Amino acid sequence: MKKSVIMSVLGTVMAMSLAFAGTALAEEVTYEADVNGDGKIVVGYISKNFTDPFHAPINARAEEYFDQAVADGIIDEWTGLLDGETDANKQIDRAADCISKQCDIVIFLPAEAEASDPALVQMADAGILVIEVNSKSASCDEKAIAYVGSDDVEAGNMLAQWVVDNCPDGGKYIHCNGILGNSAQIQRTEGMHAVMDEHPEFEMVGDFDTKWDGNLAADAASDSMSKYGDELVAIICDNDGMSSAAQKMCNDNGREDIICIGVDGVEVPLQMVQDGSLKATILQDGVGQINGAISIVESLVKGEAFDPAPVIPFVLVTADNVADYIG
Amino acid sequence: MASSPQKLKSYSKEDRIRSLLGQYGIGLVLVIMMIVIAIMEPRFLTLGNIINVATQISINGLLCYGLCLCITTGGIDLTVGAQLALTSCIIGQTMTNMGWPAFMAILAGVGVATLFGFIDGVLIAKFNMFPFVVTLSMQLVIRGLSQVITGGRAVMLTNAWFTGIYSNKLFGIPMPIIIFIVVTIIMYLMLHWTKFGRYIFAVGGNVNAAIASGVSRFWVIVGVYTISGVLAGLASMIYTSKTGSAQSNIGVGYETDAIAAAVLGGTSFAGGIATIPGCVLGIFIIGLIYNGMNMIGVSSYYQSIVKGLIIIGAVMLDMVMNRNKH
Repeated sequence: MKKSVIMSVLGTVMAMSLAFAGTALAEEVTYEADVNGDGKIVVGYISKNFTDPFHAPINARAEEYFDQAVADGIIDEWTGLLDGETDANKQIDRAADCISKQCDIVIFLPAEAEASDPALVQMADAGILVIEVNSKSASCDEKAIAYVGSDDVEAGNMLAQWVVDNCPDGGKYIHCNGILGNSAQIQRTEGMHAVMDEHPEFEMVGDFDTKWDGNLAADAASDSMSKYGDELVAIICDNDGMSSAAQKMCNDNGREDIICIGVDGVEVPLQMVQDGSLKATILQDGVGQINGAISIVESLVKGEAFDPAPVIPFVLVTADNVADYIG
Repeated sequence: MASSPQKLKSYSKEDRIRSLLGQYGIGLVLVIMMIVIAIMEPRFLTLGNIINVATQISINGLLCYGLCLCITTGGIDLTVGAQLALTSCIIGQTMTNMGWPAFMAILAGVGVATLFGFIDGVLIAKFNMFPFVVTLSMQLVIRGLSQVITGGRAVMLTNAWFTGIYSNKLFGIPMPIIIFIVVTIIMYLMLHWTKFGRYIFAVGGNVNAAIASGVSRFWVIVGVYTISGVLAGLASMIYTSKTGSAQSNIGVGYETDAIAAAVLGGTSFAGGIATIPGCVLGIFIIGLIYNGMNMIGVSSYYQSIVKGLIIIGAVMLDMVMNRNKH
């Protein structure tokens, strides 16, 4: 009996040691940056798009850093910002361009989880070290050397929790979707339902195809106010371009009491939080994400170990902390 | 012999009915839609919701009139979605970041949209380029320019006068409805009561005959694309006021709804056929599709399918009712 207790304690200690060793291995990895051995470090950058206000500061930060990195001799060349046009097909073409340009490292912001995945696969198969940022494509865990992003399910949880906390009596609410099928839309919706479905005092009375579009979200808000009147208590949006437009529509109709919230923390919603016309928004730290990827590029160039999966947390921005994030 | 007059009388009655259906058939579709939606959701027919729909359709309405004119001359204007973005960015940039008065910012935004419409018209009329190719290419230029102006960032609009364009009311009527009504009256008078309107039909119906009759094809084409630019600029003013935000990624695909409304309203892609009252009906049908689905609670995954099927069904019904005309 005594022997079996000692054996099980030893077994537990060994298992824990292996687990910690595994964790340590997962946290710290190293790669040779000059993958094709041509003596040059060439970095590629495939954006999600150039038009979305959330992606504008990410792209601007990448451009600023890599222009300087080339000037300082940290890297030899970079591709410049390649426009993914929120289109998987275009991203796959840009990936082929990166292969042709003999990139060693590529920062890639996938537009779609499944459809953009071939871009990652073809670059990884060509030996390129790919760092995915902002959202994961399907084979990210196997093919990319690192992922720097945030957990969109967590963002969905936070959206719903804000509504639950600020509407203690419950009521009717609507949900404004991003483009259906987009990974952020799917995961934020999943996170929202995980919380809201646990609260029977809330009833979802509309699930609108608003395509990330503030105009359509504003129409959904006015339609729902028209239909449900005072029973409507909240509007949950997959991004805050929509939640700010919906909130403006509510406020214009004398319904400042309706809680509108979305994700991203772009300029307009942040300013609305600051001036009090929007109560809160969920900030996704896009610049923090690209800085994480830049840090990995620097580690690769120096031959240092790095964390392959740093998570950049979402932040609930209210009147109390908006000053920290605006400007 | 006695049967002939009766038969003639009978034909006349049928012709009258057919003529009425021909003119107002799409209106019947609108009424049927309203009845069906009202049965499924009684709150649809409240005054508040009717005003809500009328306010919402103003943006697509203005775009539709521009498209209607271009299609009537045998062309198309695919730039209107990008024009929404460019005008919005110019208004946001000049008003918020440069401190211009709202009126001047609107004038600048709508002015640039007008200029791009004029350039489209010149390229099409002067160089005989295909309208589809010109406007497809130009929308890339316009969208790109809006990205350059704002760097892809959103610009907030806080000017109360400007943001009130969407939310303020005059004699209890929301401003977008008033703008829409005024533009509708102007468009009606222009297309159906002026020489320029008759020239538009002439160029679209038979361009060679029009030229032989002394109509200047150049100025007619330039005129309709310039008007389309003006209307897209005004639509953008309403849009930007509505969302309180100027950004370069708005308006993607908005030409689709505008074209759908024009075609539902009887505007022929063959050119030379269009009516402004028909467009009004088409605009309301498109607006009711969105509002009706929201009111009934159609799942977002099915809304696109329903919208496409309703448009096909409405056009088909209209063609059946107007088979002689078509």
